[in-house]
Amino acid sequence: MIAKQNRFLLSLPLHIFIILVALIWILPTAGLLITSFRPASEVASSGWWTIFANPFDFTQFTLSNYKEVITNIGIGRAFVNTLIITIPACIIPIIIASFAAYAFAWMEFWGRRFFFILFVGLLVVPLQMTLIPILRIFNQLGLSGSFLGIWLAHAGYGLPLVIYLMYNFVSGLPSEIFESATIDGATTFQIFKSIVLPLSVPALASITIFQFIWVWNDLLVALVYLGGTPDVAPLTVRISALVGSYGQNWELLTAAAFVSMLLPLIIFLSLQRYFVRGILAGSIKG
Amino acid sequence: MKKHFYLFIVLVGLISLLFIPVHAEQKSVTVMGVWTGAEADAFTKMVAPFEEETGIKVEFTGTRDLPAILTTRVEAGNPPDISVMPNPGQMIEFAKDGKLVPLATFMDREKLLSDYSQAWLDLGSYDGKLYSIFISADLKSMVWYNPKAFAAAGYEVPITWDELMELSDKMIADGNTPWCIGVESGAASGWPGTDWIEDILLRIAPPETYDAWVNHEIPWTDEKVVEAFEIFGQIVLNEEYVYGGPKAVLTINFADSPDALFTDPPNAYLHRQATFIKSFMLEHFPNLVPGEDFDFFPFPPIKGEYGTPALGAADMLAMFNDTPEARAFMEYIASAQAQEIWVGELGKLAPNQKVDPMVYPDDITRKAAKFLGEASVFRFDGSDLMPAAVGSGAFWTGILDYISGYPLPEVLAQIEAAAVDAYGK
Repeated sequence: MIAKQNRFLLSLPLHIFIILVALIWILPTAGLLITSFRPASEVASSGWWTIFANPFDFTQFTLSNYKEVITNIGIGRAFVNTLIITIPACIIPIIIASFAAYAFAWMEFWGRRFFFILFVGLLVVPLQMTLIPILRIFNQLGLSGSFLGIWLAHAGYGLPLVIYLMYNFVSGLPSEIFESATIDGATTFQIFKSIVLPLSVPALASITIFQFIWVWNDLLVALVYLGGTPDVAPLTVRISALVGSYGQNWELLTAAAFVSMLLPLIIFLSLQRYFVRGILAGSIKG
Repeated sequence: MKKHFYLFIVLVGLISLLFIPVHAEQKSVTVMGVWTGAEADAFTKMVAPFEEETGIKVEFTGTRDLPAILTTRVEAGNPPDISVMPNPGQMIEFAKDGKLVPLATFMDREKLLSDYSQAWLDLGSYDGKLYSIFISADLKSMVWYNPKAFAAAGYEVPITWDELMELSDKMIADGNTPWCIGVESGAASGWPGTDWIEDILLRIAPPETYDAWVNHEIPWTDEKVVEAFEIFGQIVLNEEYVYGGPKAVLTINFADSPDALFTDPPNAYLHRQATFIKSFMLEHFPNLVPGEDFDFFPFPPIKGEYGTPALGAADMLAMFNDTPEARAFMEYIASAQAQEIWVGELGKLAPNQKVDPMVYPDDITRKAAKFLGEASVFRFDGSDLMPAAVGSGAFWTGILDYISGYPLPEVLAQIEAAAVDAYGK
């Protein structure tokens, strides 16, 4: 009994500290959320914390920011565009990366180590450096301004990290599984399909989240390769166009941020179980 | 079996996406610009009659990252047909590299000469060839005030710099604060101060000195530049002259700073800012009546012999791809018809002389247009003309350092060092 109490008292400072850090961490987001429900004139004249003076006065809140964002012409099309961009831009690199990770981890071929280092080394190349050369190639192939072009671009930018994370997971699988499968007469592809893929679900889930959020939030790559015309512009381009060039109407951004956050949030929460496991799984073997 | 079925569906979905026509087979012109929000809406309104008349679709992309995106796409050989130029300096760079289409090849010279003053055509030209058309301008040499507050306190609008300083001293004697200034603007903090320096320099030296300064033919440590900073410093570094003192100047957002004119009693009486600040005043105080609750007078002359020059900025468009559609669009935006819609929506000023002054939303804008049209000297915002490392870098931070109290020679030496690097001389 006493020991239990002691342990509680000992861990108390730690808990308080963690809660405090969590509060500080969440503060900006909370401020953003509150601001998104305040009318423009109030946003301009006072800070979001002033609502705590009388928090139950609901007349100080408004849904007008959300209304303006959601009813903005073209926002629906932009949402669809973002989905058209994001889904293949997640599937393509993840499929390639799982093949590649398996090959790098368990298949013997000439230059394996060299190619793996080459791929992972690409992590340090800033993507801004690649914009002009890749756009030139796209122009010659007629890919600029097409969805196929941006899928390939996002796949390319995502691959180094995704391969690296997948490799860490796949190489950590016990070798006995592969040996017994080979003895049972399984082909390489069968091993990949029936053993590696099902076992890698946690890792796949976590890299899906990584890649999904990165593509979902991307503005630069879309603007460069796809352009910003209404028929192709994703949500990010559309949202950034809500604000005037001197920063007028920035209060709309607060609401727009939460609107665009919605889907990634749902995906994150529903895959979160795998997410934590996946990160741990990848981290043990470095 | 079920698994294969899903795989099949996904594949069919992916392949069908490939066939979505990204650009329909319609005559179109792609235009890129910095305009977003209300400005993008105004642009759509401006191009509507053009689309209806010609059947050409205008595909507009508005992004505030224009300089980066445009440079990338031009370098990669995939520029938009027509683009807004971030500033005249950038236009000259593109023209030098032969990326732009000279407009004289298809535009009617006589008509341009009758529609535009020579100054606007010169600003849009490089090496004697016209590359760029101005569609709107902002006037910067303006001091905003609240006529009702002026009348209540018995103040009169000053005509000269000495009168302005006398008025300021009188305000202090009455226990008031003359100026409200705010230079905070996120990553661009400091730019409102650069406009002060430019306006002052144009009033204490001939325009040639201003041009030499912009082109870095005189150093930042030149006595005229020093004098301009010192005159600015007399106001901004004086606790009594600015609302909140220099510390507040650094932290108040430029868009919020004129709010001080409309408090009761007024926290300040004078505010120097460009035409566009009107939209912020009306956004913060929707009940204000232009002309009654706020008005402006020209930033007064300092040395009589240099008069009252107009400092401004302007929006310019240039053409990268020579297509019939792009030609038609350039002709359209150069016309008074297009600019009447554009400036009428935004309260900007029209460079085309044929624009009917009645399209301006109020008398203030008409007054500003008249000032701009009649000014003997017009100069483009210098910080927009300088290389980015100076004009939107060292100059901005120099303003911040100066207001925070660093000694002037040190501040100017730092900008000069950055300028030597940026201009390569």
